[in-house]
Amino acid sequence: MLASNGFVRENWQRRLPFWARSREMVKLTMIARVTDGLPLAEGLDAGRDPQDEFYKQQAKSIFKNFSKGQNEPSRMSIETGPYIFHYIIEGRVCYLTMCDRSYPKKLAFQYLEELKNEFQRVNGDQIETAARPYAFIKFDAFIQKTKKLYLDSRTQRNISKLNDELYEVQQIMTRNVQEVLGVGEKLDQVSEMSSRLTSESRIYADKARDLNRQALIRKWAPVAIVIAIVLLLFWVKNKIW
Amino acid sequence: MGTENPGRQQFPPARPVATPFSVAPPQNMMPFSSSGPVVGSEASGFRPIPPGAPQPMVPSSTHVVGSQASGFRPSPITRFSDPSVPSPPTANVPPIAGQFQRFPAPHFPSTVQAPLSHAPPIGQPLAQPPAPPVSFRPRPQIPPVPMGSPPQTVNPAVPSLSAPYSSSDSMYQAPRPNFQSSFPGYVRMQSNADSQAPPIPPPFPTHQGGYASSAPPPSSYPYLAQPGGYVPHPPVAAPLGMQSRDQMQHFGSGPPSGSIQGLMEDFSSLSIASVPGSIDPGIDSKSLPRPLEGDVEPKLLAEMYPMNCDPRYLRLTTSAIPSSQSLSSRWHLPLGAIICPLAEAPDGEEVPVVNFTSTGIIRCRRCRTYVNPFVTFTDSGRKWRCNICSLLNDVPGEYFAHLDASGIRIDLDQRPELTKGSVEFVAPTEYMMRPPMPPVYFFLIDVSISAVRSGMIEIVAQTIRSCLDELPGFPRTQIGFATFDSAIHFYNMKSSLTQPQMMVVSDLDDIFVPLPDDLLVNLSESRSVVEAFLDSLPSMFNDNANVESAFGPALKAAFMVMNQLGGKLLIFQNTLPSLGVGRLKLRGDDLRVYGTDKENMLRLPEDPFYKQMAAELTKYQISVNVYALSDKYTDIASLGTLAKYTGGQVYYYPSFQSAIHGEKLRNELTRDLTRETAWEAVMRIRCGKGVRFSSYHGNFMLRSTDLMALPAVDCDKAYAAQLSLEDTLLTTPTVYFQVALLYTASCGERRIRVHTAAAPVVADLGEMYRQADCGAIVSLFSRLAIEKTLSHKLEDARNSLQLRIVKALKEYRNLYAVQHRLGGRMIYPESLKFLPLYGLALCRSKPLRGGYADASLDERCSAGYTMVALPVKKLLKLLYPSFIRLDEYLLKASAQVDDLKRLPLAAENLDARGLYLYDDGFRFVIWFGRALSPDIAMNLLGADFAAELLKVNLKERDKEMSRKLMSTLEKFRESDRSYYQQCHLVRQGEQPIEGFLLLSNLVEDQMGGSNGYVDWLLQIHRQVQQNA
Repeated sequence: MLASNGFVRENWQRRLPFWARSREMVKLTMIARVTDGLPLAEGLDAGRDPQDEFYKQQAKSIFKNFSKGQNEPSRMSIETGPYIFHYIIEGRVCYLTMCDRSYPKKLAFQYLEELKNEFQRVNGDQIETAARPYAFIKFDAFIQKTKKLYLDSRTQRNISKLNDELYEVQQIMTRNVQEVLGVGEKLDQVSEMSSRLTSESRIYADKARDLNRQALIRKWAPVAIVIAIVLLLFWVKNKIW
Repeated sequence: MGTENPGRQQFPPARPVATPFSVAPPQNMMPFSSSGPVVGSEASGFRPIPPGAPQPMVPSSTHVVGSQASGFRPSPITRFSDPSVPSPPTANVPPIAGQFQRFPAPHFPSTVQAPLSHAPPIGQPLAQPPAPPVSFRPRPQIPPVPMGSPPQTVNPAVPSLSAPYSSSDSMYQAPRPNFQSSFPGYVRMQSNADSQAPPIPPPFPTHQGGYASSAPPPSSYPYLAQPGGYVPHPPVAAPLGMQSRDQMQHFGSGPPSGSIQGLMEDFSSLSIASVPGSIDPGIDSKSLPRPLEGDVEPKLLAEMYPMNCDPRYLRLTTSAIPSSQSLSSRWHLPLGAIICPLAEAPDGEEVPVVNFTSTGIIRCRRCRTYVNPFVTFTDSGRKWRCNICSLLNDVPGEYFAHLDASGIRIDLDQRPELTKGSVEFVAPTEYMMRPPMPPVYFFLIDVSISAVRSGMIEIVAQTIRSCLDELPGFPRTQIGFATFDSAIHFYNMKSSLTQPQMMVVSDLDDIFVPLPDDLLVNLSESRSVVEAFLDSLPSMFNDNANVESAFGPALKAAFMVMNQLGGKLLIFQNTLPSLGVGRLKLRGDDLRVYGTDKENMLRLPEDPFYKQMAAELTKYQISVNVYALSDKYTDIASLGTLAKYTGGQVYYYPSFQSAIHGEKLRNELTRDLTRETAWEAVMRIRCGKGVRFSSYHGNFMLRSTDLMALPAVDCDKAYAAQLSLEDTLLTTPTVYFQVALLYTASCGERRIRVHTAAAPVVADLGEMYRQADCGAIVSLFSRLAIEKTLSHKLEDARNSLQLRIVKALKEYRNLYAVQHRLGGRMIYPESLKFLPLYGLALCRSKPLRGGYADASLDERCSAGYTMVALPVKKLLKLLYPSFIRLDEYLLKASAQVDDLKRLPLAAENLDARGLYLYDDGFRFVIWFGRALSPDIAMNLLGADFAAELLKVNLKERDKEMSRKLMSTLEKFRESDRSYYQQCHLVRQGEQPIEGFLLLSNLVEDQMGGSNGYVDWLLQIHRQVQQNA
């Protein structure tokens, strides 16, 4: 029905249908600098759900792993719980998104490509000099806009993209989050063990030297004492005489 | 002394009052001692006299007159009359002298005071003789004077005098006109006095003789004694003081010049030694202290610690922290601080921004204090010692710098955080729970019939539209709207639409949001849709006849839309919530509840829904500003809770009509939308070992014991905190305070604003009083008193305020009265000279005043919610508004705005021929005297000049005078834009509007059941003396 001003006025009597409320397929979008894990931009989508918070922390640890210099493939998918992370690393920037597992991988990577192209175009020359977290937070408007285009995999636009054979995502590796984070953990363990080994061998060397000295003392002390007494006697004798 | 002098200058006028006292000279003797009040100040004045020349004598005479005036009080007068007879004076003399001596020490430094006081006494004595009296009269206007002074006692003079004098005292009671006249009179009198002076001397001698008995300086004393009245202290005194000096001189010239000089010296030295102010009970209302210069920030601390943050950010109630609990318990005033973390800084003094992201912010490991100018570097620069907890911290490698020979870092000049008390750090990721939020504005607008009729919707829509370009945070700013009557209307503003789409939800029991997004949209993308919406909003509901208000459900819906991001929620509310959760009852109109134990319940939210909702909103970083525009009772007590616990603000426009209040709403909404705002903020105040902030006051939600959650903060908000001592003894010589506000700037940067200040620890109560900051104390008092009204009766809140002032003055008195033998005078520290007046003003302010009939419940509550958030300056102006006479300024082409002088807020200052401006920072009241030249009225009001002024809107007319007035008003508005001063016009005698707009706000007048300034002081003085 039309209100006097001409807007469409609708009466909403019922709750929204299920699909209209929970069609959020892209849950999280983050852009970070690979060299130090500094976050550069993030979508406005981060809900306050404690569960979302958990996955956000996981994404951050993934960035941290990158910044440790591990060689990671420039494109990868990482499964975690009911979701899956997809990321692209290019120009020292990592573009990462988290979707439902059911969301087509192809669309997710096209979404990231689109973000990457725009981000490089707008901020490409300032990425190295960014000195504070979320220096390009203004990019969230673009993320938001683009995300909306990809929200529903059933739209005509997205179906045609899915059928587009030009973009090949089949070779992109999929791994589990535990594996990815685990690699980092294992490395950490190894380095920790090796450093412990170093420090303990040093302690061992110190102790050995100590023992050596003690053995020496034990061996020669009686002889030294005897000689000292003899000399003392001589000296006393001379003195008295 | 300096301060005192100004006061003294004022005194001259006051003197008149004193004069009454002077009459009192006799009083001095007796009255002083007996009637404490009268005596005090004047006496001090006398001492100054010695230096003065003969002329002073005359002034003194004038003073005398004043004293007569003071005579108002029965006792003094009677004495005076007696005084006319020589005998009384003599008797009085001895006592007086004693007083003088005491006083002199403190006050004298400013000779001025002394003179004043002296004069009166002198006058009296003189009066007895022929000449002296004359001199006295002069002051009173009553040139005939000579008679005058004695006059009080004397006949003819008396009446006239009484009028003038009384003006001061009597003022309260009535005739304003007299007062005006009285002023002129004073002037003349002074001159007369000079001429008369000669005669005076003789009297003195006589007096002196009498006094002498008591003490050598007696002569001077007597004078002083007479002045004894409160007068001396007041800033006003300066002029008087001058006179008094002159008088003094006269004396000297006269009889006992030698002895006088001796006295003089005595005084000055005394004055130097002790700063306490003293007031005589006698009353010269003119000379009472008044903050006509506005708020003065304390400078002492800044001089002691030049690296402290500016007082605009942090003000301590006393800059000297007590060293022990027993000392702090003797300081009966609140101990604490007023913090305005984002106060507007003048150009060139902006807070420097420091980026530490490479090293991480340098903070103490243990107490988390941020690095600041008071930390010390040791171990050749490798360690730094925290100034708050004394822990030795490592300096990170990137932050290392060598120390020079004196132990100062060589890179000091490049480190603002080590040289400035206020600094802003760029926050690294650890300080973010989530990416910095964009500024979000969501508007919830009442569209029920009363809102439509008031014209509110149109103004709001226009104003928002005009502010779209100035909303902070472009291009990230998000905006959304919802309207409500008995249903809730949402608007889909998706950028691809050309017209907003309206969705109506009428199921109030189970609120849901019809669209997951597009209700809150990016302003720059959806700009055209937003504009289309705002253009059509006013007409959309033109014929809405709905009288209901589903406020609670609408609030919940807004919360659901906003909780992803947070932001500011602006609610325009016109009808008492009547449907769904949070519905409210009419409960404010009950006269019978006042004075009972249930009275305070009226000021508390009725439905727990509001407090719960506020807690929920704060958690999700949503700040609520409530614009209440109802013409009926609308339960601000409940609605305001939303603003109180979310760091918001309540704007109340009773009986809003767009034609009248439109401009005010437009300006204040514009300010609200465009001022720089800090989002999703938290604030914590750290302080050194041994002290602790024990309570916080203002609009915020406390998240843990000391973390204030502030979903939105801006430069117009201040917070108060009370300090308590944890240890029985403080061992450090200095206590440090550090305010840290972590917030997101509108531009999307996360920052930490840090203000650091140091204050000395003292073991001397006198030093605490000396370093007291009256503005901060009044600010803290007002918050405490307003909070008290929520749990107690208004009466109790006022009484406890008065009691604390009395206790503080009593303690101070105990400190000085004995050693200076100040007997019956009122004494108070120079730093707190305005405290009693502000206390009175506070008791007369809207949240605390009177009872049922004195302010509507909604006005009380909204003023309460507003006042607890006001910065010090703004609050002081509200309590003691500026009051200015404009007609002469408008007539004189060359007059500058700066020439305008503030007048005491008493009806006696209203001249029927004048045009006055009353400005409390929230509104202007322009008062047209009955006998104002029609020319001025014509020029300002055009053809409307004869109409009923209530209905006339002041606008600029094509007249020089009108332009000048408007530009002057504009100038006053510019000085502080946090609220818009709407202009009310009122003509003398137009009741009840005159009483309502202006007269009831003249805080120095007696009103209804409350005291005028003089009576208030007397009352306090009496209470101070009880069991003293």
